[in-house]
Amino acid sequence: MTRILRTFRFLVIFVILGLTTGCWDRNEMDDLALVMASGIDLTDDGQLEITLQIALPTGIPSAVQSGGKGKKSVIVISASGKNSSEVTGKLQQQLSRAIYFGHRGVIIFGEQFARHGINRVVDTFTRFPETRANSYVLTTYGGTAKEILNTSYQLELIPSIGINKIQSSKLSFPVKIDEFLNALSSEDRSPVTAAIRVIHKGTDKETFTIDRAAVYHKNQLSGYLSSNELKLLRWWTGETHHLRFTVQVEPENEQYGGIVGVELLNSSMKMHTVIKNELPEVRVSLHASVRAIDNDSKLDLSKVDDMKRVESLLSTQIQSEAESMLTHVQKELQSDILGIGEEVHIEHPYAWKKMKGKWLDIFPEVPVTVDARIKIERTGKTHSPAHKEKTD
Amino acid sequence: MRTKKRVADPFGNKLKELDKTIDMKISSELDDNETALTQLFANCSDLVVRKLHMLGSIPGMVVYLNVLVDAQLWDDGFLGPLMQPEAVSIDNPRQLYEILNFKLASIVQPRIATNMNEIVQSIVRGEVVLFAQSSSEAFTFGLKDKLHRQLEEPATEAVIRGPRYGFIEKVDINLALIRHRLRTPRLKTERLCVGRLSQTDVMIVYIENLAEQSVVEEVKKRISGIDMDSVLESGYIEELINDHPYSPFPLMQATQRPDLVSGSLIEGKIAVLINGSPMVLVLPITFWFGFQTAEDYYTNFIYVTMLRWLRYLFAFLAMSLPALFIAVTTFHQEMIPTSLALSLAAAREVVPFPAIVEGLIMEITFEALREAGIRLPRPVGQTISIVGALVIGQAAVQAGIISAPQIIVVSVTGIASFLIPNPGMSQAISIIRFPLMLLAASFGLYGVGIGLICVLIHLVTLKSFGVPYMTPIAPFNPTGLSDTLIRAPWRVMRRRKQQTQRRME
Repeated sequence: MTRILRTFRFLVIFVILGLTTGCWDRNEMDDLALVMASGIDLTDDGQLEITLQIALPTGIPSAVQSGGKGKKSVIVISASGKNSSEVTGKLQQQLSRAIYFGHRGVIIFGEQFARHGINRVVDTFTRFPETRANSYVLTTYGGTAKEILNTSYQLELIPSIGINKIQSSKLSFPVKIDEFLNALSSEDRSPVTAAIRVIHKGTDKETFTIDRAAVYHKNQLSGYLSSNELKLLRWWTGETHHLRFTVQVEPENEQYGGIVGVELLNSSMKMHTVIKNELPEVRVSLHASVRAIDNDSKLDLSKVDDMKRVESLLSTQIQSEAESMLTHVQKELQSDILGIGEEVHIEHPYAWKKMKGKWLDIFPEVPVTVDARIKIERTGKTHSPAHKEKTD
Repeated sequence: MRTKKRVADPFGNKLKELDKTIDMKISSELDDNETALTQLFANCSDLVVRKLHMLGSIPGMVVYLNVLVDAQLWDDGFLGPLMQPEAVSIDNPRQLYEILNFKLASIVQPRIATNMNEIVQSIVRGEVVLFAQSSSEAFTFGLKDKLHRQLEEPATEAVIRGPRYGFIEKVDINLALIRHRLRTPRLKTERLCVGRLSQTDVMIVYIENLAEQSVVEEVKKRISGIDMDSVLESGYIEELINDHPYSPFPLMQATQRPDLVSGSLIEGKIAVLINGSPMVLVLPITFWFGFQTAEDYYTNFIYVTMLRWLRYLFAFLAMSLPALFIAVTTFHQEMIPTSLALSLAAAREVVPFPAIVEGLIMEITFEALREAGIRLPRPVGQTISIVGALVIGQAAVQAGIISAPQIIVVSVTGIASFLIPNPGMSQAISIIRFPLMLLAASFGLYGVGIGLICVLIHLVTLKSFGVPYMTPIAPFNPTGLSDTLIRAPWRVMRRRKQQTQRRME
């Protein structure tokens, strides 16, 4: 009997604790406004404007509810104010459900806002327990985040899931919020994000594309890398999934474009730093084996001479592209998105101590030499191209 | 070990008074005995008292209850030889006993009874009592009745491969089914009798030297300590000799399969057979025994290993899936993959109740349907399952009372609870499900975690007749794992299992 009594007493305490302390943070799924993406812009009068893309569960077609088609699957709302908590409060006043950031997969900074400095919201990301560390960060290239979030996307029900999928498929340049914040807080690296823009504006084919990278200097956007530069950046950072290069191997004539396209199979980026006169010098080797994916030239890649020629042309092209990207990053953007500071830090910790506080001033002057070497591993065909048979 | 009396009994005193009247010696006068017995058995229309001349000359009297005695055996086997005239003179009862013993050898050996109490006991057990004139001893013959059903395949423990016979309600036949499989004199059976009115035969069966003798003694002590008017089923005994009467978990296995019992005996376990019940108790058992079937040992061991893991997984689901679902959807929405979260939210859109109320409605309905299905006669049971499926599956969702994902959760839970072979284990897990759901609704995954930890603590404190319930996991015993985590092939498992070899504490 004592045992029953003891259990009973325990249960009573438990129930009282559960019911009276009011510690319930229970939320039903239908009481939540699931924020799928948020965009942050700066209005012309210097106010913060936050746009939320909120999923509409009723718009998701399911077996039970047949009325899914034709309904909207998201709503986009925005409000502006002095700081993010004020704006979030204003947004909440428009909604009957609690704003819930637990499923936010995409955060977009408007270009205006990013150029002005991102300090005003970054703190809320790190403070807010609901924020996912694996949300992707993007910066707009021209236009505002609000525009992007208002753009429809045909392939997915919810546009921001489309953005999220593009980023997580590694076909683009994915940067997660934790990586971004890490880079922002560390002295040996500068933050970089993918850049998104709207294409076919004003037509019914309006959609977005992610083909550039936005480079930050400290907490301010300093500029963009072009698509070609982004390719090299992806190689540099090891994101080489489906990375393709084309090279002009011979002058164009009426029969041939003279172009060979290759895709990276295995790639490596090795950085080596030496300290001379208390300043670092960097040697970078970009090595890759590739497979040919198209060949619109007279060359026959199965012949050693032709292959060697393509390889050397490719190597020089990539070397020069890399050098121009470096100049762009070092001289114009002046942000160390390439992790050179990090490498110096690791290899020369004592020398780093002296450079620590002024690395971004030193960085533009650091001499970097690039050595690219490409090897064609697979010619990528079972027989010669059909058009070649006739002309030879 | 505790050996306190385990039962309260309101009629005890009345019965003791009754006992006094039969606590008398047998008279040497037949008439006195007749009067005594007819008084005791007044208003028993099935009592037969017949005076006759044994062996043609000796005056005697037979007393029995005719419903309990097989008429065929009575006529041919007993009365015939008894009435045959014999040219002998009887000087003393011993001589008579010798002659009867010889003449009635085809039936059963007569026993000599000296007091009325014994006589009464024999009569109510269906034996025939024979009094002889001028003898203060009587003879009892067990003309066993044939009142039992045919051997059948047990409905609750069906197998695809394996023997089809199941135990029936007669303890002797059940013992025979075990003896058929274990042909050794080491198979010991000890008979006890419990229940003041029911006088139920209970048989403790074990293999000498394999079963722990102290456990056998303890079982005997506990069973003979039972003080109750009637013991009608093995469930009485299971509850009364339990180490932990307040635990929902089964500490003994009740089975109808002779092969399972035989296999358990070889593992050193003890079987308790109860007359009148086809369910034989096997003890001591461990937690893992609840997830094993006899068929596990007849089927390919790789497949059985997979099956066992399936059972463990589904046992976990049966216990905690509704709780996990409630916790995740109401407290930890960020844990759900985004697209799943969206469809869950879409399904909940029209549902008026919070997830916990939804879950409780469905779980309670499910338990009710299950109970109804068992109680109803079989043809009607069909209807119930159709109505149940329609009500739960279709109408509730379409009416927007319950969300479809919740239905899936409850269905999976229901299937999972049927996957556990031991009904006792299945019931225990169904009981735990409800507090876990409430914990989940109040504290989220934290509450579920606390609940599961409490269950675990309870499990490791349990002991079944001195054997820790979670053996061989806790206390850890690597050799035992070959029959819990996996079912090792027989050539590996040949070494006898050591689960019961542990000393009692």
